[in-house]
Order: sequence, then C-alpha cells, then structure tokens
Amino acid sequence: MPLPHPLLLRHKLASVSRHCVAAVTRRRRVHGLASVATSVFSRTLLVFALPIGVSCSVAEDWYRWRGPNGDGISTETEWNCDWKNGQPTIAWSHSVGTGFSSVVVKDGRVFTLGHVDDQDVVYCLNVADGEVRWTFGYPAELDARDFEGGPISTPTVDGDRVYVMGRAGELFCLQTSDGTKVWGKNVAEEADVRLPGWGCSAAPLVIGDKLLLNLGESGVAVDKHSGELSWSSDDRECGYASPVLIPDSDPTAAVIASGRAYIGVDIQSGKQLWAERWLTSFNCNAADPIFHDGKMFLCSGYNRGAALFDLNDATPSLIWKSKEMKNQIHSSILYQGHLYGIDGDMETGARLRCMDWATGEIRWSVDDLRPGGLALAGGRLLLLTEPGELMIAPATPDGWDPITEAKVLDGKSWTAPVLSDGRIFCRSIQGQLVCVDCRD
Amino acid sequence: MQRRSFLAGTAAAATLASAPNIHAASKDKTYRTALIGAGWWGMNILREAMAGGQTKVVALCDVDSDRLEINAEEVTDLSGDTPRTYSDYRELFEKEDVEVAIIATPDHWHALNALAAIEAGAHVFIEKPTGHTIGESQAVLAASRAANRLVQVGLHRRIGPHHVSGMKFLKDGGAGEIGLVRMFVHSRGGAEKPTRNSEPPENLDWEMYCGPAPLRPYCRRIHPGGFRHFLDFANGTLGDWGVHWLDQMLWWSDQQSPHSVHSTGGRPIAGAPVLNDEEQTTDAPDHQTATYEFDSFTATWEHRKFAGQGPEQTSIGCYFFGTQGTFHIGWRDGWTFYPADSKKQVIHQDAQLQEPDGHNLKLLYADFLRGIETGSRPVADIEVGHQATTLALLGMLSMKLGRSVRWDPDTQSIIGDEEANGMLRRKYRQPWTYPEIG
Repeated sequence: MPLPHPLLLRHKLASVSRHCVAAVTRRRRVHGLASVATSVFSRTLLVFALPIGVSCSVAEDWYRWRGPNGDGISTETEWNCDWKNGQPTIAWSHSVGTGFSSVVVKDGRVFTLGHVDDQDVVYCLNVADGEVRWTFGYPAELDARDFEGGPISTPTVDGDRVYVMGRAGELFCLQTSDGTKVWGKNVAEEADVRLPGWGCSAAPLVIGDKLLLNLGESGVAVDKHSGELSWSSDDRECGYASPVLIPDSDPTAAVIASGRAYIGVDIQSGKQLWAERWLTSFNCNAADPIFHDGKMFLCSGYNRGAALFDLNDATPSLIWKSKEMKNQIHSSILYQGHLYGIDGDMETGARLRCMDWATGEIRWSVDDLRPGGLALAGGRLLLLTEPGELMIAPATPDGWDPITEAKVLDGKSWTAPVLSDGRIFCRSIQGQLVCVDCRD
Repeated sequence: MQRRSFLAGTAAAATLASAPNIHAASKDKTYRTALIGAGWWGMNILREAMAGGQTKVVALCDVDSDRLEINAEEVTDLSGDTPRTYSDYRELFEKEDVEVAIIATPDHWHALNALAAIEAGAHVFIEKPTGHTIGESQAVLAASRAANRLVQVGLHRRIGPHHVSGMKFLKDGGAGEIGLVRMFVHSRGGAEKPTRNSEPPENLDWEMYCGPAPLRPYCRRIHPGGFRHFLDFANGTLGDWGVHWLDQMLWWSDQQSPHSVHSTGGRPIAGAPVLNDEEQTTDAPDHQTATYEFDSFTATWEHRKFAGQGPEQTSIGCYFFGTQGTFHIGWRDGWTFYPADSKKQVIHQDAQLQEPDGHNLKLLYADFLRGIETGSRPVADIEVGHQATTLALLGMLSMKLGRSVRWDPDTQSIIGDEEANGMLRRKYRQPWTYPEIG
C-alpha cells in the first residue's frame, strides 16, 4: 500500500457540467431479536444472488496484496455481519508497530509489517488467537518526517516463503514456519536505482521463479529462491502501485507503475513493451492497474484522473478518460461491471464512488464517509473509515446503503481491510491490528 | 448524517469522439487567453473562463512541465483548444498575441507576471495578493492605470451571493453601529517536522520557480502546493485568507484606511524554522494577531494553526460587532446575525458556492469580461485588491519589525519610520529587477 501525501494539498476536481443531487442517507442498524430474522433472510438472498461460476470456498487464504485473484475481492461467502447489538466480535487485538502495511493470510497465520524501536518488524500471528508465532526485525528508520512513518508495503506469501520489502529497498525472503531468513539484501542499492519520495511501497509479485518489484523506471526482478538479480531497469523514480500481471499476455507481461507512466514489461527480459504516459503532480502513481476483458483501467490522484484503455493492439489505445475518479492511494475494485473506489485527497476529504467500467460514468458518490480503505467480499463492500469504523454495504451501482457499521479501531486507519478465513483484519497506522470474527 | 450525490449520467467521461462542449455557450467576442501559473487554483479560474464561453486558451505557462502537460490536455478535453505551452512567461508574451492573462503563480511572481502582461497589452485577472511586497502591488496598480488595462483581482468574495446580501444587511444598518470587526481563520495542527531536501524533480525548473526570491534548496513541501507557508514566496495565512477577510472589512467600511497597524505572531507550536542543506520546514507564523485602528472602529485579525475551532460556532470569517448584535460572514456557513437582544430571532443565509472548492469564480470572471466590454471598473478592481493586500502586508511588516506602523494612504508610505519604509520593497535576486512604480 502506497504512501499518503502529507501536505495539505487541496483537492481539485473538474466540475464542468457536473450535476449533483444531494440526498439524505438512511442508516440502518440491526439490533437484538430482529437481527436473527434479518440475517437469515439476507444470507438466503445472498446465496441465491450469487452469479453462476463464482466459487464459494469456505475459507480462502488471502496470501498476497489484493488477494489470490489480485482484484481486491474475496470469494468467501461463509461469513456474516449481523453483529449482535451492533457490535462485532473482536476475537483479538495485537500491536504490530507503526505503518500502513496490509495483512496477508496463509494456513492459519497472518503476516504483516510495522515499525517498533528502530526496527521494521515482520509479524507472524495465529489467525485463531492472535498469538505471536515469530517476529523478524531489521534495522530501519521510522522516517516520520512527511507522515506517520513506518513500512508501507504488504508482504507476499509464496508456498513456505514470505517476501517482505522495506521503504528503503530492503528485501527479505523468510520461512513462513519460523521466520528464518533465507536471504536478504537491499535491492535498490544492488540495482543502483533511486528510492521514490515516500519510499518503496509495492508488494512483491511472484511469477514463476521470479519476484517482480516496483523499483527503477520499469521494475526489478530477482530470482525468488536465491534473491539473485535477474534484470533491472533505468535509474528513474518508480511509482507506488504493485506490479500486476496482464492476463493471457504473450509474452507474459506485467504492468509496472513508474513515477510518470504505467509500463508494460516482458517478465523474462525486463524489456519495455509499451509505456502509457501518466503524469501526476507528485510522481505518485499508486493505484494498481485493473485488467478485464482485454482492457486496462488506470487511475491516479494528484491532478490525474482515470482512463480505460483497449489492450488488444501493440500499445494501449484510449477508450475513455475522466477526472471524476482519482485514486490517490487505494486501487479501485472492479465488481460486476462497476468500479468501487476512493476518489480524492485523503487529507482534505476523499469520497467513496461507484463508476461504470464501460463508460466512466459516476453512479454514486458519498462525500463525507472519510474512507480509509476498501475491500469486497461476497458481493459486499467492506469499508474501513479513517476513524476506524468498519462499514459493510452491498456492492451495487444503485447506491451506498450500509447493512451494518461498528467502531473497530482507535486511531487513524488508511489500510484496506482484509477478509480471510471468515475474519476481517483491520489495522491502524499506529499499529493496532484487530481480528473481527465473522464466522457463525 | 451523510451527504451523498448522485451524478447525472452525462457527468463523467470524455470520450475521444465526443465533441468539445464548452464553446457551446459562446457569445460573439472570444478573448485570446493565457494562464500563467497552471496549478490547482489557476486551473480553477481557467475552467470558469472556458465555461463562460468567451475564452480561447492560446497558451499555458508553468515551470513544472508535468503540470503543463496534464493541464494542456485538460484544456483540450474541455474546450477543443490546443494551447501552446511555455516555461517562461517572457517568451509567452513575446510569441503570443494575448488579450487576457490569468495570473496564478506563487505570490513572489505576481507583480513581474502582471507587469509583463500589461506591457504586452493584456487585461489581467490576477490572484490575490497583488504583490509579495507593497511596492510590487503599487507598481501593478500604476502600470495598469497608465496603460488603461483592466485588472480584476481574484477576490471572489466581492461578488459571492451571500457576501453581497450580507454586506447589504450590514450597510442597511442590520447590525446597528459597528464598533469592532474581528477577522479570523483557525485550524488544527501541531509541531512541524522538517522535510528532506532533494534534487528538484526533472520536470521542474527550480531556478525559475524561485525567480526573484532567494534560491533555496528544493523540497517537496514547497512545490507543488506548499509555497504559502514559505515567506520567500508568500506571506503565510494573513497574506492568503487574510486578504479575503480584510477586503470584506474594507468593503463594509467604504475603503477606509487605518491609522496604525500592529501585529504579533510566531511559531511556538510549529517550532523554529529549519533551513539547512539537508532539510527544511515552513517559516510562516503558526499564529498571528493584527490590530488595525480606524477612525470610528477597530479591526483585528487572528489566525492559528492549532487548537481547531474550539468553542466557537465557526472557524473562519469575519465578525462585525454592532449595537444591534453580532454579524458573522463566513465561507461555507453563509452569514448569520445574532441579535444582541436574545429574544429576537437569529437571521441566517446560506452560502451559494461552486464546489468542490467553494468559490464564486464564475461570477467574478463574468464581471471581469463585462468590465472589459463596457470599460467600467470590475468589482475587485486592482485598487480594491491593492488596498486589501496592503493591509495584509502591513500586518506582516509590523510583526517582523516588532512595532506599530502608521500608514499614509496618500503618499503610500509609513509615517516616520525609515526602517519600515525600507520593508515596502524587497531585494530581488539577479537578474530580476524590482519593479519601478509608475
């Protein structure tokens, strides 16, 4: 997860010909006896409403950033949010240090990263009870000059290994079982490329035997077994989004967000296939590209906006563009033809919006939720607000109508929640990690 | 309660095939227009200019080439115009035939940009303040009068509907006789940590950004968007918000001039300014008070960037304290009159602003073009902007000097204080020369 811009840059939005109708939102809370009937009813509806072809796994490991499918969507359905008395069950809470890293989950263990006492610390906790299985620390500065500081990337689990990246280019491969270091290095120094302004934030992406990193102009790849450098790119400022594989690409290609473009890269050679120039005010391309149906969605904050490209030719060709969605930090989530995303500047007031994938039209926009992070599971949006409220609402272009909401965290939260194994994991910048148990 | 908005289906996307729609409202005359300083606020102004239908955007100028490229693309998307882009305003005025120049650079550039535009024969829409020092503002006023060029200052609160109706309420005696005006802006904040210096981004001409101001190490806290709190480039909150609220007070008082100005302020919360080879902080005061003594009333300014709104009902605006009660003119909260007699009803009027940034630029820009067409002075004419700017800068000057100053509006000088008079100008960095007045 990439970095917030700390300055009070006032957000601008193209307002030409925009037509807004304000409406008052009806909030629903489910209480006491009524909740039983409601929950049964809503779950029944949900099962029938599931589109054919979507798998209904009982529990699903969220082993990497944006989940197993890389789309920010959990396919788990065996969870509920009919919290008794409006209060969810907090199974456990644990301090994991200052930072913005999200969590990943594998085989009953949850992994994340935070800063504690002159170190970045990798935490491995039990999903069941939050007990610490192991930690692994490496020396790092908090570097809180421009924001709260601490690590900002999310670990990636691959088999029995977990890969971790620090803001200053530190890269470690650890055993998931006990945290033993398999190898470690500073990959920015080795590749001789500069660090981006807020530090490295991209999650490592495993593709075959390679580990793809967002560093340099168009990425760096290392051998995932040995850490040996496979290829690197020019010494230009990288962006903050994580590398994303282009589906069905030949040769196999990924898109890397540089400071000033999104670049298609051949995985084997590191060769640039194309570069879509994509400027922002702060070289801050932070949202992962989204691929669907031969098309690519790009979106950035800091003056940029969004666009959809056709990827069927050698280079991307523009289908539409819009200033009405600006993902400053968080990637949008594409679900059933609509993008759900956080638009605008997080410091000065971001909005939760729903945008039509095909046309770029805004379906709805909620202005004062103070969104902090977004996920999607079982057809529902999971919104963690900046003050630490977890809100759950059907993901529909018809509007934002929360089923339930509850305060789960104190402090400031800008990290996307994660649903895995029937639990929702929420984390504050100050390092409180809570496990909200949503199993029956 | 949540605010939500459902945007109409026509709102969002610009497809490549869609026809530019901005020129649809065109009237007869269109003005060849250039924007100097193509940042966040400059583009807000330019969008209103384009939407008004009498603007052909011929050129954009900025020292940040990425900004230029992004914003030139937006101009094309919105209007169909393909502006040429420049990093040096002098080259722009040499090569382009400009009828209207919009100036929205950081404050330290305002005067040189405006004087070049006037010399090139353009009418000018300039952001407030009209100078970084009082002498610069005087030079713009004198040059525009001599060349008979119209200058509208971006004081959109001169024409915003709730400001107009609020001012009528006051001038009709709604609050009775006014004895004290209090202007204020408060926000939250705390200690400031230094930001690391770095090489300027490759897309930024840092030397030109600094221009007549001292060349200091680049740090991203300054650009983009942070110049206001660096006193080399601007004058902090008083030189920003203060100009708006001082102008409201001047409007109500029929442009009276104060006898004396006294201001104090500092950085007890933000901490001492840092500027070294490695890192830097801002250096504008984290709080400031200023007192303006007039013939028949006193006006005070107060800002602080800590503690938030506190027990008051508002964190921004202007209180006019009169015999009939207290009148507050605000921003998004419109205006409210609190009668001294608590049995009487509170009177309120909502604001009518353009969002998302809460301004009334559309009205102000239309007034500017009306002024050009009819030859009449616009509502926020350069003289109006100059007076509000002068009061803000006298406040800064008094704070730095540590004593009161007495202002003579006729001679445009400080009475009996040579040191203070020396501060009406600043030393420019070579090769830039401080503008001569008249």
